[in-house]
Amino acid sequence: MPSIFQYEFMLRALAGGALVGVLAPILGTFVVLRRYSLIADTLAHVALMGVAIGMASQFLPALTALTAAVLGAVVVEQLRARGRLPGDAALAVVLYGSLSIAIVVISAAGGFNVDLFSFLFGSILSVSPLDLWLLAGLTAGVVIFVAVFYVDLAQLAFDEELAKVSGVRTDMLNLVLAVLTGATITMSMRVVGVLLIGALLVIPVLTGLHSARGLRVAMGVAVATGLLSAGAGLTIAFYGDYSAGGSIVITALVLLLLARIWSTSKGWVRAVRRRRAE
Amino acid sequence: MTATGSPGAVEWDRVNFAYDAIPAVEDVSLSIGRGELAAVLGPNGSGKSTLIKLALGLLRPGSGRVRLFGRDTEDFQDWGRVGYMPQVGSGAWRDFPATVSEIVANGARRRFSPLAVFARSEREDVMAALEVVGMTALRSRRLSELSVGQQQRVLLARALVRDPELLVLDEPAAGVDVAGEERLYAVLRDLNRDRGMTIVIVSHDIGAMLREATTVACLNCKLVRHGPPHDLTRDELSTLYGVPVDVLIHDEHHEFESVLQRHR
Repeated sequence: MPSIFQYEFMLRALAGGALVGVLAPILGTFVVLRRYSLIADTLAHVALMGVAIGMASQFLPALTALTAAVLGAVVVEQLRARGRLPGDAALAVVLYGSLSIAIVVISAAGGFNVDLFSFLFGSILSVSPLDLWLLAGLTAGVVIFVAVFYVDLAQLAFDEELAKVSGVRTDMLNLVLAVLTGATITMSMRVVGVLLIGALLVIPVLTGLHSARGLRVAMGVAVATGLLSAGAGLTIAFYGDYSAGGSIVITALVLLLLARIWSTSKGWVRAVRRRRAE
Repeated sequence: MTATGSPGAVEWDRVNFAYDAIPAVEDVSLSIGRGELAAVLGPNGSGKSTLIKLALGLLRPGSGRVRLFGRDTEDFQDWGRVGYMPQVGSGAWRDFPATVSEIVANGARRRFSPLAVFARSEREDVMAALEVVGMTALRSRRLSELSVGQQQRVLLARALVRDPELLVLDEPAAGVDVAGEERLYAVLRDLNRDRGMTIVIVSHDIGAMLREATTVACLNCKLVRHGPPHDLTRDELSTLYGVPVDVLIHDEHHEFESVLQRHR
């Protein structure tokens, strides 16, 4: 049986998976706690529109996707902050708007091709050294941002009005979070695919929220879950010849299920002990 | 400005505010001096919470000016001087994973730290604030594991950890039992009398407000009345709430005590 480590493309995929496994749950913690999980899926579809425009215009699809996702993040945040539309409605408008443009552009350009599928579903073969460097830079940037602004972000996630009265620049923080989420989605497309990247921003975070006490611990558990999902998922994908993105997300879902079973059984054990003590 | 010439803690100067052309606050001019324990009373939809949100810079007035410690709220930067305790709704923060001490620690005055994520949450100031509200024993619990009354106390500790000069509370006793309510008002009384903290409370609890407050502002979109609680008459209260209100006053534990009975 060939070793997963003997192929350079797999080493790049594993490194990419590890970076996404750290990056997505860190940002995802604040996205989920602000009840804004759908932003990941919305920006993924905006990035898909960028990919379609890049391919149709024969320009760098990764760059057009990044530009589209960042601009999309700004638009979504402005719509939400100005209260023109309720948060979920603003996301739905941008999601369906960008998806319809993507479909029109793809059909005008002659339909789907293999490269587009690699953006949609992820392709471990297509993770380039440049992708890795960009992903590493973004991960470093996000880790520093969260480490420095942790208290402000925690307050924003807890209660936006309370955060404002504490002097937190919530408008700026919301915008930076949205833009970083857009960039994360674009940079992670090669590993997980546009259709599934949102899952990595949400599912490991839910595992952390179920099994941890304390915000920092929950974030730590989410990152550990993200890393484990990426490592195990890519290994399963390699040996089973499955889709990388699908395998990573299924692994994350299994870990979430295990966390739920563990916390539920802990509750039962506690209840039985209490009954015996009575 | 107050009678002494120094700016009040909070001042509304001919303030108007409307939600989609429906007026919520109309031409309100009100000044709350430093060291007061001021109650804002009024029926539902009378603009009480709006008035507070205008003071905290959460809403911008349609016209008029709102000042905190003499500065327009739009220019006000020194938020460490202000503590705010919002109303806790049932089921709020259901899945929020932070512990009580984390929530309180995050409310401390902001200071730059490149490694804020690693800062300890069970520090001296946090423990002192939890002690004041009697929540030290539950400091490691998740906020979502607490009752509404306990969550209220955590939010009060969060507001106090920054040692504010002005404390603003929106319905602090909503959903709290009688013992919890008495404990809450005892804490507020001490903060006001011993530390000289200015306290503004929005409440429906007329009896407690008339007992605890040094001044009472009655609001019904417009400012109906502002002055000491003992000047407030039964007719004024009845007009304010639109139902007959009886006021019984007796001296026992406090300078005076009011018990209101509402008859429908």
